[in-house]
Amino acid sequence: MVEIKDKASEIIDLASELRWQVGDDFHDRLTEGIYADAATITERVEQKPDRKISYSFDRALDKILTSGTFGFPIMILVLAVILWITIQGANYPSGALAVLLLDIVYPFLKDISSNLGIYWWIDGLLIDGVYMAVAWVIAVMLPPMAIFFPLFTLLEDFGYLPRVAFNLDSLFKRAGAHGKQALTMSMGWGCNAAGVVATRIIDSPRERLIAIITNNFSLCNGRWPTQILIATIFIGALVPSGLANLTASLSVITIAMLGVFFTFFSSWVLSKTMLKGEVSTFTLELPPYRPPRFWKTIYTSIIDRTLIVLWRAIVFAAPAGAIIWLISNIDVGDVSIANLAISSFDGFGVLLGLNGVILLAYIVAIPANEIVIPTILMLTVSNLAITGVGAGEGVMFELDSSSETAEILKAGGWTVLTGINLMLFSLLHNPCSTTIYTIYQETKSWKWTSVASILPVIMGFVVTFLVAQVWRLIAGV
Amino acid sequence: MTPDPGIALIVFFILVFVGVLLWKIIKSPFLLQNIKQSKKALVEDILKQLYHVEYSGRTASLNAMAGALKLSDRKIVRLVEDMSSHDLLKLDQDILQLTSSGRDYALKIIRVHRLWEKYLSERTGFDKSEWHDRAEQKEHTLTEEQAEQLYHDLGNPRFDPHGDPIPTEAGEIIETHWKSLSSLSENTVARIVHLEDEPEVIYQQIVAEKLHIGSQVKIIASDNHEVKFFSEGEEYRFSPIVASNISVKELTAQEKYEEDVVRLSSLDPGEKAIILGISSECRGASRRRLLDLGFIAGSSIETEFASPSKEPKAYSIRNTIIALRGDQADLILIKKVNE
Amino acid sequence: MSDQIASSCDDCAFHNIAQLKKLGVNVEDTDYVVTLAGNPNTGKSTVFNALTGLRQHTGNWPGKTVTRAEGGFSYNEKRFKLVDLPGTYSLLSTSQDEEIARNFILFGRPDVTIIVVDASRLERNLNLVLQVLEITNKAVLCLNLMDEARRHDIIVDERTLAKDLGIPVVPTSARSLEGIPQLIETIYKVASNEIVCKPHKIKNLAGPVNKAVEQLSSKISKIYPEMPNSRWIAMRLLDGDERVVTALQNNEFLIA
Ligand SMILES: Nc1nc2c(ncn2[C@@H]2O[C@H](COP(=O)(O)OP(=O)(O)O)[C@@H](O)[C@H]2O)c(=O)[nH]1
Ligand SMILES: [Mg+2]
Repeated sequence: MVEIKDKASEIIDLASELRWQVGDDFHDRLTEGIYADAATITERVEQKPDRKISYSFDRALDKILTSGTFGFPIMILVLAVILWITIQGANYPSGALAVLLLDIVYPFLKDISSNLGIYWWIDGLLIDGVYMAVAWVIAVMLPPMAIFFPLFTLLEDFGYLPRVAFNLDSLFKRAGAHGKQALTMSMGWGCNAAGVVATRIIDSPRERLIAIITNNFSLCNGRWPTQILIATIFIGALVPSGLANLTASLSVITIAMLGVFFTFFSSWVLSKTMLKGEVSTFTLELPPYRPPRFWKTIYTSIIDRTLIVLWRAIVFAAPAGAIIWLISNIDVGDVSIANLAISSFDGFGVLLGLNGVILLAYIVAIPANEIVIPTILMLTVSNLAITGVGAGEGVMFELDSSSETAEILKAGGWTVLTGINLMLFSLLHNPCSTTIYTIYQETKSWKWTSVASILPVIMGFVVTFLVAQVWRLIAGV
Repeated sequence: MTPDPGIALIVFFILVFVGVLLWKIIKSPFLLQNIKQSKKALVEDILKQLYHVEYSGRTASLNAMAGALKLSDRKIVRLVEDMSSHDLLKLDQDILQLTSSGRDYALKIIRVHRLWEKYLSERTGFDKSEWHDRAEQKEHTLTEEQAEQLYHDLGNPRFDPHGDPIPTEAGEIIETHWKSLSSLSENTVARIVHLEDEPEVIYQQIVAEKLHIGSQVKIIASDNHEVKFFSEGEEYRFSPIVASNISVKELTAQEKYEEDVVRLSSLDPGEKAIILGISSECRGASRRRLLDLGFIAGSSIETEFASPSKEPKAYSIRNTIIALRGDQADLILIKKVNE
Repeated sequence: MSDQIASSCDDCAFHNIAQLKKLGVNVEDTDYVVTLAGNPNTGKSTVFNALTGLRQHTGNWPGKTVTRAEGGFSYNEKRFKLVDLPGTYSLLSTSQDEEIARNFILFGRPDVTIIVVDASRLERNLNLVLQVLEITNKAVLCLNLMDEARRHDIIVDERTLAKDLGIPVVPTSARSLEGIPQLIETIYKVASNEIVCKPHKIKNLAGPVNKAVEQLSSKISKIYPEMPNSRWIAMRLLDGDERVVTALQNNEFLIA
């Protein structure tokens, strides 16, 4: 060992001495030398026509896709089309999956277990708890992701996405971020965990961290259904019924846009404070356009984006289902843990214009935002001891019509303020545990994982609190 | 059950205010834990200041020193007494003088300061406007071993990012023979070697004008009111006070003044150019990345198109299209070619 | 050095099992370890999929694969383990990706390094190729995206290229599996020392830089006669690469 050290330090000492002699620009000279060799070889082996001719199609397309006139309209159009196809296209399979998993398979499993005479609590824990949570996540999450990601991947394969980053870079630069964050942000509208993985395309450490930490402000598809339902019930109801749908949609879009605003705002704050010492470099290569391979692309993107993310979500949702069932069914004294928790959170919840049920639902639904609404309904019904709706303690459910849902929520004391603040809180709260786990995987840092997890909740608390107080001052209640 | 919104808001703002206040206090240098530290820091600051004064051939009185470091008379007297009892300086009829051990100590501090600036410029993303202040803090806390390790990690640098020589471990420092930009006469050509980072206001102005170390300059006119010169295709006008904070060196026999060197940012779509090099102001990871992508002296480059907001621009180099932001393109020097 | 090994055993594996294990690659049940290096977006993952039949994510976007992907295939009754590395423009800087790629080739000593290049942007890609060839002698150049090059009327004389680089060159269009059988065969031949490479070494270094590199590398060769890539190590030391310094101190370069 001593010998190794001696040998090594002999070499290292000579290296230090030589470094002093060659000076600071060794790296530059070395790279120049390598490129000089590369140029010599290329000269000998390559024959190419004038670049003007051979890439004329690419450049012509670039001029259109990045032009001052068409650049932005085309981008917005493409995004709108993708979102439209996703939302419209996911409706039917989502409904079908829900019918299959919740209305057919669930009773079937219950039947089997009662025929076998399984203990009620095993049956409850596994079927009412774990199975329901998993089924819900699959029904809500799978179809939109299976549509959104392949479409995105097709654009990626064609080579359009780097042009989007190019067009939007100056906007992101002002927030201290990288143009490629436009893509990771859009990917976040599909799924935040996938958005976080996608930040790998950003090769500058500071901007990549910014993109990871702020991805949660992209309203993911697990949260869209909550937004739409609450907007329909509370905001759509404020206007004449003819305008109800339009108003509800606009308010959901407003929330999503608010998310974009928070993305920029917190990117800017992060780049000026916590992250200003991180190394920052900018490069954006615009690859040549390549015709994508339609079916193969769709196949691989379903396999490795959709299914992997879905699998992670299921892994996290299963224990959440168990916990939800347990807290509703284990009593301390005479009350269930759930009801205890609800009454202890209620004061703080009301201060924020929310209530104890919502806070508890968000705590137990950390693993998957998809189950927030079913959990809220179940907890409300059980907390108020309403009979005749729902499927029992700890069993999540949803109702066929939004008016029935509205009745339950109103019975739970919900007002328009509660609705609005729930929409805000659904945008501004900690990422789901799949995303948190993914952030850790990508950053390998507890520090950044905690920042990414805690920052949005704090913002959520502050924003809902302020909205609640201002609302109450104005409304005088 | 619902709390009164007015009261809630008031309580909230009071809490925010208290939070901000606490944060300020924690960050401030006057906190208890810093007091012991700050005596060491003051001693070191006096030594450093004195070194700079002596280096530039002037002398420092007790009063001037108190003024420069914003210290009360009582305090400076006490510090100076203390320091002379440790043989760091002498007081000779109101004139402060470094002893040789004081001078060694001062050079150590300067070494750490400059090494830290070098570190910040190469390995972190802090903006150059922050380097100086951060190094002012760090120079008092880094141990000698840490400084040596840093020196090694950075590849035994000889100059800090402003162009100042870094003293060696043994306390030797390279003599610099620089002139101030304001002292040059018309039509002389020179290279910028140093931008003085103190006083801050002047430095910020130089930085804002995008003047870079390593750039060549050519004086067009120079009088008591204004110094007018060309650098990298841009025309600059500075007051002599600002210009005197820019140090230059006349070109050596091997260096030739590149008459038509301009910045890549000035290359419009459709124009072609040859790269002459990357400015030495482009450092660390950014510089290495540009080199890796082939932004190397002698390469041909063409501006292809600009993004809708004019920035970034896409350049074609070595048959690839690379987009760069304006501040990067400012640091790449080219020579336009006409067909 | 390959001569040295070849004399004792003709088609022995060359990889460094201990280091590979440290890098997290299990090499049990494997005869040869093969790795894929190359610039981002040159089709490494596509080649990986073509060789292994797996479905790694691919995309027309520089910078997709960051973590390593692994897979396997067999040919001529030999089992090959294939490792897809992150795409990098160079191995000289010290970004995280480059460090992963560099460490794998330098310390893991794969039996074959397949360097995937974009045939339509040869010059930029050669920057990385020449660096890899300073590290390892056992490499195959996979001249990918040939269909794209043809579409843009770019012609590459692959025989001269192979001669200049001193390693076999296989033109492919990985997406349509064109050239993949030839690639597999070539990998096999290089792994089993049927083909012995004489890789290009960087020539055009500026005078003083070259002198420093030569001086240091001859010192390294003198102290460690069995070190295959002393010139590369000299370059890294002169560039102040701390990882290489530590590796020297811990004796990581040599097979334990
Ligand atoms: N036309 C064509 N496209 C290819 C070929 N190989 C890869 N691609 C495409 O090039 C893009 C980048 O490929 P990928 O394997 O992800 O590259 P990596 O970043 O090096 O792993 C993808 O869109 C591939 O479909 C090929 O041989 N021909
Ligand atoms: Mg890849």
